Amino acid sequence: MTCVKRLFSKGPRSKVAWLIGEALTSCRCFHAELVRHESSALPVVHHSKYVCDLAPSHRFPMGKFPRVLQCLLRDQVITEKQVWVPEIASKDLLSCVHTEDYLDNFINGKISEQEQRRTGFPWSEGIVRRCRYETGGTVLAAEVALQRGLACSTAGGTHHAFPSYGSGFCLLNDLAVAAKYMMDNSPTKRKVLIVDLDVHQGDGTAFIFKEEPSVFTFSVHCGKNFPLRKQQSDLDISVEDGLEDKDYLSTVEAHLPWLLETFRPDLVLYDAGVDPHWEDELGRLRLTDQGLYQRDLFVLKTVVKRGVPIAAVIGGGYSRDIDRLALRHSIVHRAATQVWRECGM
Amino acid sequence: MEDAEFDDILDDWFIESLKTYKDLHVYQLEHPTQVLEWTSGKTVCVAGYSQSKNEILELRLPLKLLADENKSLCAERDFKVSHGGFTDGPVRCLIHIPGTRCAVTNDGLSSDLQVWDLGGEESDVIRRTGSIKGKKSAPERGSRIAARPSSAPQVLHGAQISDVQLTELASGESLYKLETDSADPLSSLQFVSDTVFLAGCCNGSVYVADTRTSAPPQLSHSPSSDKSVIWWTDGAARPHPSSCRVIRVSSSGQVVISDLRNLGGVGCQAQLDVQTPGRCSQVDVKVSWAPTLDDCVSVSGFSGVVQIYNTRLWGAEPQEARPLFEHRGHAVSSQQTDDSVPTFVTSHIWHPERPRTLLSAASDGSVHVWDWVDPDRQGGSPTP
Repeated sequence: MTCVKRLFSKGPRSKVAWLIGEALTSCRCFHAELVRHESSALPVVHHSKYVCDLAPSHRFPMGKFPRVLQCLLRDQVITEKQVWVPEIASKDLLSCVHTEDYLDNFINGKISEQEQRRTGFPWSEGIVRRCRYETGGTVLAAEVALQRGLACSTAGGTHHAFPSYGSGFCLLNDLAVAAKYMMDNSPTKRKVLIVDLDVHQGDGTAFIFKEEPSVFTFSVHCGKNFPLRKQQSDLDISVEDGLEDKDYLSTVEAHLPWLLETFRPDLVLYDAGVDPHWEDELGRLRLTDQGLYQRDLFVLKTVVKRGVPIAAVIGGGYSRDIDRLALRHSIVHRAATQVWRECGM
Repeated sequence: MEDAEFDDILDDWFIESLKTYKDLHVYQLEHPTQVLEWTSGKTVCVAGYSQSKNEILELRLPLKLLADENKSLCAERDFKVSHGGFTDGPVRCLIHIPGTRCAVTNDGLSSDLQVWDLGGEESDVIRRTGSIKGKKSAPERGSRIAARPSSAPQVLHGAQISDVQLTELASGESLYKLETDSADPLSSLQFVSDTVFLAGCCNGSVYVADTRTSAPPQLSHSPSSDKSVIWWTDGAARPHPSSCRVIRVSSSGQVVISDLRNLGGVGCQAQLDVQTPGRCSQVDVKVSWAPTLDDCVSVSGFSGVVQIYNTRLWGAEPQEARPLFEHRGHAVSSQQTDDSVPTFVTSHIWHPERPRTLLSAASDGSVHVWDWVDPDRQGGSPTP
């Protein structure tokens, strides 16, 4: 159990306090409808209610969520036994990031036409429910990662949501909710590093944690992509259109190890968006499947080898070929499976 | 307006556009164009209109747009300049000769035409190969040009109705002249079949003639006697080849549709909502029947917006027309510029085969290619 050993041999902190903290964590109930304590395989978090009905012509590829799980099962990368099922995120949980007013309006369908337009979604009870499950999924992935070292959701990465409004297909900020929750739910404030490699800046998350020293927001994004109005992450790397595998990977390699070394997070949340891929309809970069795989492998391995727990979400991806898109999103789970194996987790 | 505010508006529009367009690609030319002309299903010509030297360019459309089946497999999302050259003056009219790599232009200052070779695979240079003299008029005006759809390369051209002639490109020989005394300046000239053409005058009258005969043309009088108003015209042999409808739009927004078989009558009318301060005199209004969508027309030149109308909803009495779709891309993305010089759409064209694909160009140098979603077919409410 190399990984567990590493978890216990960390930096200059009160070892006792830390041990108690971790013990409490493992006893605490997960925010889950189904836990998989008996499985020793990579934890994958999924809920059938990650989807809701949308007009068939709608640009948001809602159908990708179940297909990500299906292709992982079909390709025997994972089995059902390692699929953890999250609870729906409660209003209470969501309120650690979102305002009371917004949550009230959001849950009860009082979002104005104009606000709905900016989100790209017409309001429906279905969309509210699926967003809450998605957020619950990211929180569960973080909780499980803390215990097992590594976990992946089959959704997540809604980083354009701000405390009081949604934007760009994001209605609740799952990464922010998970980060805030994990930060606060610990005897000593946990430090969380959010690594956001979606091609769009994680503007909502950057804004939410602007003044929070315990959460470090790191975003690599294409400058010309939405949103044009950028927020300020703790570290923003804005890249040029057309960037390919080699240079992109160099960029990530140049910053991540150093960040881990200096910030020393207790938990990493990883947005493994596939929209830097050259086939993505909205992204303006030129990564290949191989490039995405190398990227995910690098991020997951680097963090795990330092003994830091990491939870990954699938992030953004836009393609009208939903099966191809789902396959692309499953790259991070395949990389995670590889890391799980290699690191003897 | 602050940068952040402007960025916000662009972001809002981007999210909106995901719903209202199937595809949208933007391109920025160094210098604006007033001409957009297909040279193939994938390439289009543009040219500058500043007083002296200008670029004439052939652009290739983004492959991503053109690949319907394997849309996601095309990385190329940008226009590419495939051929380019220089002109000595402004280009106000540019026509491609079908079946050739030849184009003909006019500078809007005199009636003479310039002939160009657009270049082939061995060369990316567009070069001038000759000129065609037009009939001089006083005052001197620019010519409208139309290319004969089939047959050996021939162009119809003229600055005013009495000067319209058909010239063979190879020999420079004049094959036909329109017999009429009127000196009304032209705002449009086009073939509606291989030999029948429409000549639309600025005063709103439309002449129909056949190049095979020397008989005098048929005349449809202007819908309005108001001499301060300018008219533009487009004709189309739709929905059936035997019918031909002519649409006329005035600078005050009046729209009249007539059938060529009944030139005296008025088919239907509408009034467009033309905002003040109204159009810019430098920019022509462009009206165009959709090549494949029955009853659809597009209008530009009154502002930074291209509007698409469903004329089936229009009746004999002029009512205010509500657009089926508005392409606001040029207007939205130019809000940053000096308010005293608003952006105008200088030209637009429909793709000859793709039903809802259009190209539009504006005075700020932007060129957009867009494939719009019909709000009616979506079952949603029409775009406000």
